[in-house]
Amino acid sequence: MNEFEQRLRRVPVKPIPAGWRAEILAAAVPARPATGRGSWAGRLNGRWHDLLWPHPKAWAGLAAAWLVILLLQVSQQEGTPARAAKFAPPSPEMLVELRQQQQMLVELLGPFELRDADRVRTVAPRTQRGLILMG
Amino acid sequence: MPGPTTLERLYDEQAGPLFAFLLNFTRDEADTRDLLQDLFIKLAREPGRLAGVREERAFLMRLAHNAAVDLMRRRAARDRTRDALAAEQNPFAPADDPDEQVFRRELSVALGELPADQRAVVHLKLWEGLTFEEIATVLDLSPNTAASRYRYGLDKLRGRLRPLYEEIQ
Repeated sequence: MNEFEQRLRRVPVKPIPAGWRAEILAAAVPARPATGRGSWAGRLNGRWHDLLWPHPKAWAGLAAAWLVILLLQVSQQEGTPARAAKFAPPSPEMLVELRQQQQMLVELLGPFELRDADRVRTVAPRTQRGLILMG
Repeated sequence: MPGPTTLERLYDEQAGPLFAFLLNFTRDEADTRDLLQDLFIKLAREPGRLAGVREERAFLMRLAHNAAVDLMRRRAARDRTRDALAAEQNPFAPADDPDEQVFRRELSVALGELPADQRAVVHLKLWEGLTFEEIATVLDLSPNTAASRYRYGLDKLRGRLRPLYEEIQ
């Protein structure tokens, strides 16, 4: 700090008017919150204020932007054709088509029944085959 | 739970420097009083604001500065002549010595001619003795910006007060 700065620094600032103390404190003290819930809410409010300060509007804007993005995302997912098709009931034309295909498949394959030997092989493991034959 | 005792202690320790800063910044004693009263009402209403604050004065200066900036923005829209009157509000104590009184009045005028952002930095540096890092925290600036605003402001003061300063020396 040079000489000029030192010179300025030595100039005393005006003191606060003495009468202000009583007036300002008299105005401030009734604004104190009551004990209990009020003070807890006040502390919480203070914490939020400290966290968001000095740009609460910027933080609020950011939060709003995220909310809009989230809502858009959800609304787009609900509106996709794949999702809509998944939950839509089949139309009568589609049901008729499916029945026709099922009928055609039955006609092509004919009556189908498993032979007894095949049925045993599919039901029992190799180690139990003797027991089945005996029974 | 901060009660009236805490508020009184805060007032006794911090109101003087806050008053000087606000008066130099706003250049209006009525505005300074309103801002100071609003600040203490807020502190009384939300005592949690000071919980965990290490540098009480810097924190309160910051609150006061933000409130003063808001007030000046509102005022700027409807009262353009206030800047012209700003230099007439002397934020310094009166002196017995006539030469010193002239110097203080000229210093007050020169400070009033500075832009408010430079005036705030000059005040916090010279009359609060804060470092540029501390000023940057109070005014929400970078330390480099605080330093450059101080240099600009001081250069203007030096240029404005040089004849008088040299005469008194």
